[in-house]
Amino acid sequence: MTIAVELRLQLRRRVGPLLPVIVAVAVGFGVCGLIALGVGFSPSLMFVQLIKGAVEGPQLFETVARAVPLVGMSLAAAIPLRAGIVNLGADGQLALGGCAAAIVALYLPAPDLVRLAMALTAGMLVGSCYAAVAAAGEIYAGVPLLLSTWLLTYPAKGFCGYLVRTSLRDPATAWPSTPRIAVGARLGHLFPGTPVNQGCLLIAAVAVVVIFIDRRSSAGFELRMRGLNERFARYGGVALNRQTLGVMLASGAIAGLVGAIMVLGSQFRYTDGALTAPQYSWSGTLAALLAGGEPLGSVIAAVLFAALQTGGFAMERSVEIPRVLTMVLQSVVILFLAMRGAIWKRS
Amino acid sequence: MAFLEMVDIVKRYPGVLANNQVSLELERGEIHAVMGENGAGKSTLMSILYGMQSPDEGYIRLKGSTLFLQSPLDAIAHGIGMVHQAFKLFESLSVWENVVYRREPRRGIFIDGARARAQVEELAHRHGLPIDPRARVANLPVGVRQRLEILKALYREAEVLILDEPTAVLTPAEVATLFTVMKSLAAAGCSILLVTHKLNEVMAVSDRITVLRDGRVAARLVTADTDPDAIVRAMTGQQITLQMPKQPHQPGAVRLAAKDLSVEQYGRRVVDGVSLEVAGGEIVGIAGVAGNGQSELIEALMGLIPIARGSVMIEGRDVTRASVAEHRASGLGYIAEDRARTASAASASATDNLAMGFHRSPPLAVGGLLKPAEMRAWARSLIERFDIKIATVDTAVGTLSGGNLQKVVTARELAHNAPVLIAEQPTRGVDVGAIAFIHGELLKERERGHGILLVSAELSEILALADRILVMYEGRIVAEFARADADEAILGLYMAGGTRA
Repeated sequence: MTIAVELRLQLRRRVGPLLPVIVAVAVGFGVCGLIALGVGFSPSLMFVQLIKGAVEGPQLFETVARAVPLVGMSLAAAIPLRAGIVNLGADGQLALGGCAAAIVALYLPAPDLVRLAMALTAGMLVGSCYAAVAAAGEIYAGVPLLLSTWLLTYPAKGFCGYLVRTSLRDPATAWPSTPRIAVGARLGHLFPGTPVNQGCLLIAAVAVVVIFIDRRSSAGFELRMRGLNERFARYGGVALNRQTLGVMLASGAIAGLVGAIMVLGSQFRYTDGALTAPQYSWSGTLAALLAGGEPLGSVIAAVLFAALQTGGFAMERSVEIPRVLTMVLQSVVILFLAMRGAIWKRS
Repeated sequence: MAFLEMVDIVKRYPGVLANNQVSLELERGEIHAVMGENGAGKSTLMSILYGMQSPDEGYIRLKGSTLFLQSPLDAIAHGIGMVHQAFKLFESLSVWENVVYRREPRRGIFIDGARARAQVEELAHRHGLPIDPRARVANLPVGVRQRLEILKALYREAEVLILDEPTAVLTPAEVATLFTVMKSLAAAGCSILLVTHKLNEVMAVSDRITVLRDGRVAARLVTADTDPDAIVRAMTGQQITLQMPKQPHQPGAVRLAAKDLSVEQYGRRVVDGVSLEVAGGEIVGIAGVAGNGQSELIEALMGLIPIARGSVMIEGRDVTRASVAEHRASGLGYIAEDRARTASAASASATDNLAMGFHRSPPLAVGGLLKPAEMRAWARSLIERFDIKIATVDTAVGTLSGGNLQKVVTARELAHNAPVLIAEQPTRGVDVGAIAFIHGELLKERERGHGILLVSAELSEILALADRILVMYEGRIVAEFARADADEAILGLYMAGGTRA
């Protein structure tokens, strides 16, 4: 075998798996550039403003602040996806987690730090339990998770909305929301003067744990094998139902934690619709899909999406190019990746 | 000049030379067997002839003129037909609709059904392939579906017919019928290429044999002048004993027992009151045509599907309602029939595939955490012990040949050292070398005092290995024989649903 052939094989082995991602991202940028051109914007101006808006000066902290919930939600999506399960109910788990955290932080008679810790724990527990309802529905009643997780979002959001309109309502505000949480029970700033709070560390820790479990634990092994071939996992003795339950508990816990972090770290109250409006669960699911459920890849994709989104806001503000273009970019990238099955196998 | 010539065909895949200057000549009216182990290049050669692949070098000549086949449609237009191992039929349509598809006789814009049915009937009659043109394909047994595939090719005026492992799914009686049909087609001037692993079939029906090994032609033989040992030598490049020495049958204590086991699916009783016992030190064979409840019986024994009635005991422990993991923990190993879909994860590495089932306990995992170095060492040791041909332990097993993938599965299941082993079609579609190896390993298990339940559609396999033989037909055990009392004829009779009158 000649050196050239050997080199090519090496290159294919190393870069090969990433090639579809690179091409999809490139095509996404190309399509957005063309759209910009078509409606009379300069593509180069758009891309420069996008990148500047994502990383230049204080914008970098904006990106990090946005990345925290997005990374969390991408992990909440990635864990089930790794086993081939789709959790579309992260929004409900997020809202319930945030609401539970607000209640504990407001009303638990305990020292500040304990209240904070209990609030975070409550967020995780409630998110976890709510996700488990969907899992139980599939295991015992055969309701597909894809359906139940999604549909259970509405009662969750509705229930939280009801609470903040009635018993939890802060009469001082116009919008249905709880009173503000005491300063001592909040997550503090990580870098003073920036929107980045200590929740950043919590999500980073979660990411490390998830990646470690995925790569190095027996449970992670079973998860990967199920994602690659569910029949094989079953045949090998993996208890699929228990695994489904575990996966949903973990996914819901992370979604609930993200809700708690948003409430305790940046919003300081539970406001109806405020947690779900930025659609972090949606972007997180896309990020996890982009990485095929691999957690490290999901984290990287989520950070990229966060950068795109803050960059998009900045671009819209500074040069009035609508940020919907960045959403188009995200969508095109995902669509092209979804095509890889057909396109990349042929060569 | 031969009727069909493939000359110096070369086909490269990344890192593999699948066909290396392969030449093959086919005379008019000849039955020509193409043999070789898995990965020898048979499939590549046939897919080139059928237009599914184009050769990198070399050419095909039919009746003296060179062909450039772009697709199977091209091949069909030139009179080359192929019957694939997995049939390509519309199950919901009738026989005649399948036959005339894309070549329907028309009246105006409508299909002339009456004429089509008449044509199909005439064609079937002419070639001795009795079939009801109006029957739904979904209701037809496998043997008849194959007949239909052959009719499809003949309707397109095939002069060269490629049959890819045609007997894999047939009963002995159906095989005999197929051979008669092949011979009469050949007598009528049709040339047949028979791709197969099975020596006895080649000896029974072929005129000449081309043996491939490692992408090259290893031998060109005239069937009348050769014998099975010579063919095996050519296929493997070495001497392989087909008959294994076997210790006398000395069954120990019962290790696996099923009592009055029934399984229901979609309201149909697919396993109906099966009772069986497997003792240590014996191999119990279940013979039967595929689809008579064997798969469901095994899945029920393994805990993969629910049991409607009856009980299962492994090593004295009731596992009737237990999970797969509990079955395995009780001492059951399982070589599943579908190695690619069930018994492995194609895109996962050999390390991961070989670790499945060992991934929760030392040495591969301690305290719920994997030991990657141990996992790789484990994979390496099994690969070496079972002589699995694979580039590295990180290579995805989906890239392996059938025989090597089967060895991966066998290696893993035997490594459990389970007192009971279920081996379901352990050598289907596997090359001769791997068959001999796997049979040897199963016999070693028996000598270790383990009990083995062997399910095979291959009578030769059952007869070579089993101490006792059960015949399964329509979900029931219809006969039981000691090995000494069984032969191909009597088993074939019961497999087809007959009884000794």
